[in-house]
Amino acid sequence: MNEIPYIGERTWAGEAGHLLVIIAFVFALLSAYSYFKASSTAGLTGNWKLLGRISFYIHGLGLFAAIGLIFYMLVSKYYEYQYVWQHSNSEMPMKFIFACFWEGQEGSFLLWAFWHVVLGLVLLFTAKSWESPVMATFTLVQAFLCSMVIGGYFIGYKWGTSPFLLVREMPENLGMPWTSMPDYLELPLFKDGRGLNPLLQNYWMTIHPPTLFLGFALTLVPFCYAIAGLWKKQFTEWIRPALSWTFTGVAVLGIGILMGGAWAYEALSFGGFWAWDPVENASLVPWIILVAGGHVMILSKNKNRASSFAFILILSAFILVLYSTFLTRSGILGDSSVHSFTDLGMYWQLVIFLLTFLSIGVVLLIMNSKALKADPKGDSPLSREFWMFIAALVLTLSAFHISFTTSFPVFNKFFGTSWATPEVKDYNIWQGFFAIALCMLIGIGQFFKYKQTDPILFRKKILRSITASLLIGVFLSFLFGWIGFQVTLLWSFLLITGIFAVLANADHFLATLKGKFDHAGPSIAHIGFGLVLVGALISTGKSKVISQSNRGTFDFLGPEFSDGENVLLTRDDTVRMGEYFVAYRGKELQGNHVAFNVDYFRFDSLKGTIQKEFSLSPFIQLNERMGNSAEPDTRHYFHKDIYTHIRYAELTSLTDTTSPGNYGPPSDNTAKAGDTIQGFHFYMVLEKFISTPDTAKFKLGKAEIAVGAQIKVVDFFKRDTIIMPVYYIEGDKAGVIEAEVGYLGLKVAMWKIDPETGLVNISFVRKKRAKDDFVVMKAVEFPAINLLWTGCLVMFFGTLLAVRKRIKNQKKEENGKGGVP
Amino acid sequence: MKVSHIIAIVLVAVCIAIIYSTLTQAGTYDVFRTAAANPDKEYHIIGKYNREKEVIYDPVKDPDMTVFYLTDTAGTEMKVVLHEEKPADFERSERVVVIGKSSKGEFHAKKILMKCPSKYNTSKAGSEQSYLESN
Repeated sequence: MNEIPYIGERTWAGEAGHLLVIIAFVFALLSAYSYFKASSTAGLTGNWKLLGRISFYIHGLGLFAAIGLIFYMLVSKYYEYQYVWQHSNSEMPMKFIFACFWEGQEGSFLLWAFWHVVLGLVLLFTAKSWESPVMATFTLVQAFLCSMVIGGYFIGYKWGTSPFLLVREMPENLGMPWTSMPDYLELPLFKDGRGLNPLLQNYWMTIHPPTLFLGFALTLVPFCYAIAGLWKKQFTEWIRPALSWTFTGVAVLGIGILMGGAWAYEALSFGGFWAWDPVENASLVPWIILVAGGHVMILSKNKNRASSFAFILILSAFILVLYSTFLTRSGILGDSSVHSFTDLGMYWQLVIFLLTFLSIGVVLLIMNSKALKADPKGDSPLSREFWMFIAALVLTLSAFHISFTTSFPVFNKFFGTSWATPEVKDYNIWQGFFAIALCMLIGIGQFFKYKQTDPILFRKKILRSITASLLIGVFLSFLFGWIGFQVTLLWSFLLITGIFAVLANADHFLATLKGKFDHAGPSIAHIGFGLVLVGALISTGKSKVISQSNRGTFDFLGPEFSDGENVLLTRDDTVRMGEYFVAYRGKELQGNHVAFNVDYFRFDSLKGTIQKEFSLSPFIQLNERMGNSAEPDTRHYFHKDIYTHIRYAELTSLTDTTSPGNYGPPSDNTAKAGDTIQGFHFYMVLEKFISTPDTAKFKLGKAEIAVGAQIKVVDFFKRDTIIMPVYYIEGDKAGVIEAEVGYLGLKVAMWKIDPETGLVNISFVRKKRAKDDFVVMKAVEFPAINLLWTGCLVMFFGTLLAVRKRIKNQKKEENGKGGVP
Repeated sequence: MKVSHIIAIVLVAVCIAIIYSTLTQAGTYDVFRTAAANPDKEYHIIGKYNREKEVIYDPVKDPDMTVFYLTDTAGTEMKVVLHEEKPADFERSERVVVIGKSSKGEFHAKKILMKCPSKYNTSKAGSEQSYLESN
């Protein structure tokens, strides 16, 4: 078979890329083997360690170069390559090139591996005696990750998917007629790429994935320490160096997950920040387990006792990250998630990845089960240890519930069941109970001392937080009930305990720690957690769809069916929503966005008029190939948000089709001075007749009789205009001069006067509007959502503060000055 | 009995309660025939909408109602009243999942999930392997 001499392909890039990935893979393996030898053989360990290090450097260089090459290809528009063609196009602004890079599976694997290399480099300089056993596992994981992007055939199976494939090399394109054309790149198809999914063209897409993957990467470090601890039988020593890594992971993964929530809230059409979507859950579960693991590590360290629970949790955190990778990338979620990746045929490779590290962990745990026996004495229920342990159990149960429910598609696949993905409310009840327990534990935890606490002192200290949170919680519950929300007992209880978690920790921070930040990390992080919970509780639990209407005819189906959440707004009509009057003012085309301008008005009781409060411009992004997507617009206040989302709009006519001479049918009215004539969304008051109108102005010339009607036209927004239609008689014929109100599209004429009764005939017409100029809109009020975002940041900084303290202590202990436990 | 035993018992009890309640509350993927037989229970029905018949959405009349015809995996066609706006790109959808209940010969859906070949899976439409095909 002759090679076809393809024209214009820059094949060097693909060849270089393949080579770099293979280098990264081989040297990761070599590094893993060397580090393994360095930690298991006596004697020449130094040489093995050196080889491991050098291999890791080469691995890292190879990986960085491969990533750099993909960026180069994206920027230089190498559309003969699948990855570039698929994820970018010539309109792509520079700020979205990063998003193009990690939109695909291959890119996101590389992003993950990139963070591992960065963390690995930190470990090389900080892990000291732990370097070899820790890096052995670490580099093995890297080898697995690199294998995901190799994309070659080995022993008859395809391993991974390479980002360096030419479009014509893609399996689905093999045998296509154009692949045998030497100049196929001249085809219009390849002149430009396919571009980035419109939903992802967003600044959140630039910051959310790297943060989340850094969080995922951070779970690997404590995992490797735990494996090293089991392997080297240093059942308690591993904890000290791993602890600050664990809590850094807690902080970064936590903020990464919440960034996803903020993205969903700001730019996607979820109508909230959390939807218990399988992909969201898949990253939340490792975080919960990591939090539990970190706390049990602290226990194990303080008691200086090996803890099997700490091992299990820390090993699980990373295994669950792998499980989450499997769920989102194997295609198993299918229809149950809105945002899982495409199946790239890596199902079994992902299963092997998961099972390898699961079995390493399980085997090591079983081998060491004797040494990991539980403390026969147990902890006193008056000790902090006891309650921290209980809290870790509650966290584990919460994670169990979420992952069990999220795994339905997996069960369906293996057991042939057909359980449907649960809805939000199914999650909320169980998680509500766990949250209540957690908040109480978070509140009391700091007031317990390690080993033994004086119960009288404890009671004294905790009482004021309990009283205050009961007062505030009960007050708020009644307040929400009073403004018309349904307040359930579970919700109130959750609110009280959430407030308790915040207040008790604030009390501890101010009264016990005297506001000193150095030791306050845990208290501040716990305050943040409490705030997130209270914020979520109020903003989501008491959110109000202000565009809601009851569609009576469907009441028999229940409120979930009969309550309409959408409202139809025809251009310039005004509809009442909650405390607002909302008017749709028309649409504009801005680049590939169609913005819909919506004005919100409110009745100002002081001025007695309707005042404009704000304008929002939710838009629809036009995308021929992937479908249009709507992006909401939100008005942020300190205490609430007004979220506005276009649910449906006709996009057939993007320009105003109102033709100037096109008026609706006239409306005739008989009136006398002082009468009011009602129109649609306006009224007219016939104030008085003026028998001598300005003849020059009206160009009446020789008219014998001329009468003007002074009419005040008042519209919905209390705008008023005085107009004067004129009726005149000139010779033997009568004439009419119309008056107009431009902004209402209104024309008014007076055409008959009865001098005896004083009655006149007034008729008016209004301009017809384009028939399809309307939007179907949904508007939601989210109260106190800023509490949630504040809580996120407080939790993040609190956790980092605690990490800083840990690192300080660790340094002190290493310097032999004796540390504080 | 020690404290640790009590904790262990509580732990096991909660786990069982989670599994039991989650499984008994979980909806199931099913077909129209089952839904019609149990009018008060909610079902998730997977199917393809009939492109031959008109999809009716008249927002002036009711912005929360879309009517179309859906053929489920068993081949039964039924009129579906979706109590929502017509989803964007409905015409592009390959498969849809409607969640709701049967009433008077119609299926009333409160929610719809769509699988569009183009939205997330850009290159290999149809190659995704999901539990749907394996059922």
